[in-house]
Amino acid sequence: MRLAVVGNPGNRRVALFRAAVDRAGLPEPEVFGWREVLTAGRVPGPGTLVRIDSPGEDAEVDRLLRELGSGRPTVTAEHGQIIGGAAWFAGLRAALARIEAGGGRLLNRPADILTMTDKPRCHALLSAAGVPVPEAFGPVGGWAALRASGWRRFFVKPSHGSSASGVLAVAVSGPRVAAVTSVEVSGGSLFNNLAIRRYEDEAVVASIVDRLAPDGLHVERWFPKASLGGRVLDLRVVVIGGRARHVVVRTGRSPMTNLHLGNARGDVAAVRAAAGEREWAAAMDTCERAAACFPETLQVGVDLMFRTGWRGHAVAEVNAFGDLLPGVLADGQDTYDAQVAACTP
Amino acid sequence: MALHEFLTTFAGLPVVAADDDDLPAGPSEVAWRLDMDYDAEDGDFRRAFEKLLQRTGPAGPTALIIGDWGDPGQPFPFATLIDAADRLTGLRSLFIGEMSYEQQEISWIFQADYRPLLTAFPALERLWIRGDGDLAFSPMRHEGLRELVIQSGGLPTSVLEDLLACDLPHLSRLELWLGVDGYGGDIGVDDLAPILSGRAFPALTHLGLCNSEIAEELAAAVAAAPVVARLESLALALGVLGDAGAESLLAGQPLTHLTSLDLHHHFMTPAMAQRVVDELPGVAVDVSDPKDETRHGRYTVAAE
Repeated sequence: MRLAVVGNPGNRRVALFRAAVDRAGLPEPEVFGWREVLTAGRVPGPGTLVRIDSPGEDAEVDRLLRELGSGRPTVTAEHGQIIGGAAWFAGLRAALARIEAGGGRLLNRPADILTMTDKPRCHALLSAAGVPVPEAFGPVGGWAALRASGWRRFFVKPSHGSSASGVLAVAVSGPRVAAVTSVEVSGGSLFNNLAIRRYEDEAVVASIVDRLAPDGLHVERWFPKASLGGRVLDLRVVVIGGRARHVVVRTGRSPMTNLHLGNARGDVAAVRAAAGEREWAAAMDTCERAAACFPETLQVGVDLMFRTGWRGHAVAEVNAFGDLLPGVLADGQDTYDAQVAACTP
Repeated sequence: MALHEFLTTFAGLPVVAADDDDLPAGPSEVAWRLDMDYDAEDGDFRRAFEKLLQRTGPAGPTALIIGDWGDPGQPFPFATLIDAADRLTGLRSLFIGEMSYEQQEISWIFQADYRPLLTAFPALERLWIRGDGDLAFSPMRHEGLRELVIQSGGLPTSVLEDLLACDLPHLSRLELWLGVDGYGGDIGVDDLAPILSGRAFPALTHLGLCNSEIAEELAAAVAAAPVVARLESLALALGVLGDAGAESLLAGQPLTHLTSLDLHHHFMTPAMAQRVVDELPGVAVDVSDPKDETRHGRYTVAAE
């Protein structure tokens, strides 16, 4: 069966997958661009083994997904603009249905991709399976409900956001509110900024949360993360075929540890030593249990947090497109090699 | 900037979590750390404290660190300790509020007036405090206290005035984190005159004026301060000290009698940092953790 990939052709994710297929001595995979999927309906057919990769990092694909989801003409987002999460998700659902209807054998199940791309649903699934996750708030209408709840420290995340986009780490104490976030308000729109900033004006925090709310919010208690060398950290653990082998440490000086916000990769061995073998093994087991919630999906990227003082851990997110870990090898294989090996005879 | 890590030793003792199964030494030979979960409920702290007392025996812990007590936006529940004073007769070292930034920002940690606590524990020798919300020291005499550390992102003048009004005849180590004006740190060099002149705290042998955005002015003041002659160690660490402050220190009174000079987390150039080390032979000078001001300017280790 020939391999195919749905992705953005110029993106390094596709290049890395092609390179892995080449290393395995297999025929070059056919590439189905997200634009073609969305505009011409060109999708892989029967007899292909299909990897579905991220539609991200392409402004036109983003626009097309929102257009498909909303059924209305829509504009291209400006750089960093946070816009139309719900429409994007509806578009992704429709596009995945098209791909599924093409008849190829899909390595990642569309229903699983959708669950992972819907934070409240993903949290509910993990929680029901006994995977440790921070307590979730439940459906959130807006800032007023959060303020009235008595919750002191929590993360607010757009339901369909990726990485740190639109995320706020919020602390409330009596009359005071502070939010650490990459979001900035400009000209009536919300943008992600590479610089993390801190807002202490409740009106500003409320306006950001209330602008994000119509596209869906997921709110969880702020799980106090462990740190090493003065930097807070979490792990990205890619589980392929049920096994957690590819790990990166993501560190930052702010509560947001996602790599693309200018944060650094940490030292896996140092984190493992600090956590201790027992806690590390338990954490890896948790990642594999999180992946087992998606049994028909070849790979997932689990974001795992250790608690301050290395006392316990919890899953922050599970990512459908979380396997971009260039240069991270396990037994000589990167995440792409491992997937190719796991899905071919 | 923010604080992320916890002490691994306190009062010279290894730190052990109150609910840790592994105990490396006898219960009075470790520093116990009591820290509530991020989703703790009312009453959890008191219950955990009771369990710790059962673990540590009739005299209680020798050294105790309290992290998050459940809601650090509310003052620490001093009554829990005071009511148990007769079961804490062994307590000599206490740290209240050792929380990471992930648990609570330093400027949001609430304390209270420490006189009732200190009165209930006359034998307490070492007191560390993180956070200064509502922090106060009503006038008192305390003969036991040897070491006082107050970690703040912005220490208000009122706390300094309170301390200066207290009679602490045996206080030999004092470390104040002055912080930044934006978070309430309004102590100026002139306010510190009673300490720098040597009039306050007659037993002082260690002075730390740390985490300060006026570190350069502090260095200039310290360079001529009478108190320095009787200090064994001095710290101007964790703040914004740069070449100007270092120059003041080197140009001022002799410092070679010091055992140690702690300047870590600084904005000195490598050449100046080296010069400080070279010109103070015999002094353990800590110039580790140099910071770069080009992108974010100068900053203290903790503020918000």
